[in-house]
Amino acid sequence: MSDTPLILPIENPVLKVSDLHLYYGDSEALHGISMGFPARQVTALIGPSGCGKSTLLRCLNRMNDLIEGVRVTGSLQLDDIEINDPALDVIGLRRRVGMVFQKSNPFPKSVYENVVYGLRIAGVGDRAVLDEAVEKSLRSAGLWDEVKDRLAESALGLSGGQMQRLCIARAIAVNPGIILMDEPCSALDPRSTARVEDLIVELRENYTIIIVTHNMQQAARVSDLTAFLYEGHLVEYGPTKRLFTKPLSPKTEDYITGRFG
Amino acid sequence: MTPRVFQRNRRWDRLARWLISVGGVGVIGCVAVMLLLIVWMALPLFGKPHATEVVPAFTAPAGTPILAVGLDDNAEVGFTLGGDGFFQFLELRTGAVTARVPASPRAGKPGVKLTGVSAGRHLEYALAWDDGSWSLVRIAFRSSFETGRRQILHQVEILAEMPAAVTMPAGGAGQMRAGEKGGAVLVWLDPSGATFQVRRSVVKTDLLGNEETAMATYEIPVPAGSVTAFTVDLAGSTLYAGTADARLLRWNLGDDRAELLEQVRAFEDGRRITALGLVFGDVSLAVGDDRGGVSTWMPVALYGEGSSRRMELIHTLAAHASPVVEFPFVQSGKQLLSRSAAGLVRLDHMTSERKLLTLQGSQSLDAINISNRGDHLLALDRNGLLHLWDLDAPHAEISWKVLFGKVWYENYDRPALVWQSSAANDDAEPKFSFVPLIFGSLKATFYALFFAVPLALMGAIYTSQFTTPEVRGVVKPAVEIMAAVPSVVIGFLAALWLAPRVETAITGVFLFALILPVAFLLTLALWMAIRNTRLAKRVGRGFEFLPLIPVLILAGAAALALGPAVEKLLFAGDFKLWLFHTAGLRYDQRNSLIIAFALGFAVVPVIFTMAEDALSNVPNNLKAASLALGASRWQTVWRVILPSASPGVFAAVIIGFGRAVGETMIVLMATGNTPILDASPFNGMRTLSANIAVEIPEAPAGGTLFRLLFLSAVLLFLLTSVLNTAAELIRHRLRKKYGQF
Repeated sequence: MSDTPLILPIENPVLKVSDLHLYYGDSEALHGISMGFPARQVTALIGPSGCGKSTLLRCLNRMNDLIEGVRVTGSLQLDDIEINDPALDVIGLRRRVGMVFQKSNPFPKSVYENVVYGLRIAGVGDRAVLDEAVEKSLRSAGLWDEVKDRLAESALGLSGGQMQRLCIARAIAVNPGIILMDEPCSALDPRSTARVEDLIVELRENYTIIIVTHNMQQAARVSDLTAFLYEGHLVEYGPTKRLFTKPLSPKTEDYITGRFG
Repeated sequence: MTPRVFQRNRRWDRLARWLISVGGVGVIGCVAVMLLLIVWMALPLFGKPHATEVVPAFTAPAGTPILAVGLDDNAEVGFTLGGDGFFQFLELRTGAVTARVPASPRAGKPGVKLTGVSAGRHLEYALAWDDGSWSLVRIAFRSSFETGRRQILHQVEILAEMPAAVTMPAGGAGQMRAGEKGGAVLVWLDPSGATFQVRRSVVKTDLLGNEETAMATYEIPVPAGSVTAFTVDLAGSTLYAGTADARLLRWNLGDDRAELLEQVRAFEDGRRITALGLVFGDVSLAVGDDRGGVSTWMPVALYGEGSSRRMELIHTLAAHASPVVEFPFVQSGKQLLSRSAAGLVRLDHMTSERKLLTLQGSQSLDAINISNRGDHLLALDRNGLLHLWDLDAPHAEISWKVLFGKVWYENYDRPALVWQSSAANDDAEPKFSFVPLIFGSLKATFYALFFAVPLALMGAIYTSQFTTPEVRGVVKPAVEIMAAVPSVVIGFLAALWLAPRVETAITGVFLFALILPVAFLLTLALWMAIRNTRLAKRVGRGFEFLPLIPVLILAGAAALALGPAVEKLLFAGDFKLWLFHTAGLRYDQRNSLIIAFALGFAVVPVIFTMAEDALSNVPNNLKAASLALGASRWQTVWRVILPSASPGVFAAVIIGFGRAVGETMIVLMATGNTPILDASPFNGMRTLSANIAVEIPEAPAGGTLFRLLFLSAVLLFLLTSVLNTAAELIRHRLRKKYGQF
């Protein structure tokens, strides 16, 4: 047992984090995280509130830039580019690393316009290309049959679960390699949650998915790998099944058995 | 919660609801009452004119046939002029004769009679005696309080006498006008209607004070046709004649000869001209014909300034059923009194072309006279009964066409939209067109918004989306303080400080508008080049405006410095002169540019604050979603934030519009207040609101102008409320489309 590393090394990671420190002003929120994310796998980030899992996720597509007073050190390698380079083309990065948020946030536009938004801002104007992307993305998000007759209607008229799947469709329409999901089901009812979870499992075929979740059953259901964070430290990282059945760290055990969190 | 607490909360809740309802309904009620009050003040403008007989018709003094009647300003004393040359004064309320006064010493001599009377100015009569001589007399009334109560005293004044001449046998028609110092001119039409005789007496005083009367006589042949009606202006210098074949002729009466100015064919359909008269002011000629038609004509320079003037048909009024025989003199405004052969009397207003009153007696009315103020009319009918009417035709000069349509005013070469409510002389034609004022309001608003909307919206976008909360915390309150600057201060600064400076540096101002974008673009290009250097990195995100401040100042300084040189190079050293010569535009110091700056300054904070709030209220998660999809900040603003906030931004612009339309003090002080219809940015305007402020102090309460100003207030009220309602509806639709912000 002692030969199993606490933090599983990943071979040929698509995304590699090394010694990542993040500071909100003077307080340090991430204390030197180092880990790799394998391609076409679902990696879950779990941990109690305030452990830094969402912060870590937002580092991966530089969404932390939007927050005042955030300072990041360390290295984030996506293939060959350094995410943490101040000169990096953030826009290009975000095209490769899509994101789905906790609260579904469709634009106040039609369903169609929501899906093609990423393509339009990239300058795609060819109607045929857009139409094809809409159908493909909505089919991938399992939403096509429900909304194909109301593409021109406002996205704000969809149900909560449909809106979240629309957001996923919107994210995959630009064809990113990686999709970040920040508690995508926390605002959904159980039925919608189940549909989104099924969707995540399906998307795994083509995308690398990193999901932050509060819900350990969810992590167990959808992910291949799980990382447990606690107070800004990466405590344990390994295959989901093993981590939930035989956690190595006592902290992980305490958390997954519900002693705190 | 215990039942007591619960009950207390319910009580408070009910009280609060009640208070809020009362407050809300109260506000709506106040606005409604205000509107009602303004409408109430304006409503009499559209009142119907009416005439009432003051006393039942009574028998005129018996004796010789009555040739003329008249009355004083208060309609207390009237008089009749008999064929024997005597005036009989009578109390109009009782019909009692109080005095009998000879019109001239000649009257009363055995066998002396009047062969004709023609009325000139108010209460002025040219008397034709049967010996061929003429007298010009005037009745003067004055009030006396000697006996303790008011008495109207009368006096018969002889203004001029004209001895008989062989060339003018008794029987022809004549008109006489008084000249200086007892001089006079008599225009006499031969009974054949083929020639006029003009006799002019001029009184000269030599160095010793001896008066000498010189008499000049000349003949005017009528070129064609026979004259059926003629009239002479009050100064005795212009003669108008109408002929049986509908020709209008106009002569200038000189000292010893007449000059035919023109003759025009007035009608082509075989009408005869049967009556001519001059509308008060001696510009418009009233023409009556044998089919009852009444029209007014005036000499117009049709081909612009300097071309010769030709009589043109200006107004056509409602027609009589029978030929028009007379246009008695009216001294109150541009009203026109006409009498038909059937003895019907009608009062019209020339400018508004409104038919005001039709009067008839028990029989055909033969002699009529309207009082000085136009509020009473005395008439004698063929049965020998005198009728005294009280006329009430208020605001006769107002009609919808006058307010909103083109009207051909006296001394104008073409119909025009003009606001000119008062003039130095009382025979001027007031011009009441709302169009230049509405135009002025819209012009001021347009220029102000043209300046303010881009500035305020760009500012709001930058502050809410691009800068840091700290900067926003400074900028927003600062702009809001701008709104607290009293508009009188802005107006004062704009009119007395800004306007003269802009005038001297006008080329620089335009140059600035040209240089600034170029300088900004250059700076941007430079910025792109150095954005990754250490110096550029030191400028924090959200502080990008800092390096632009020196650019702004430098561009301004450069523009002002280059101004004179550019003016020399392009505009031959004087932009204003160049503008006038090449474009024909006049440069006024207080012009639309000044209004754009000043009114824009007042409107910017309104638009900025509301738009900034709307933009800031767009939830962050929409912004995050857009950015996470790889949108740039600008794309996010343009495609997500602005559409989502569009209802609020739209409302901000409309509220700014309302503020600009209703603003009074700034436009009052800095526009020059000239009610012109000209969109040029180099001259000013007069707005509806400023017009009310300018004119209400000099508008007599209850008068036409006073009520018109209230009507323009109704208009202003409607303009803003219709606009706000429309804006609210559009906002509602946008909201439905783009969600809740």
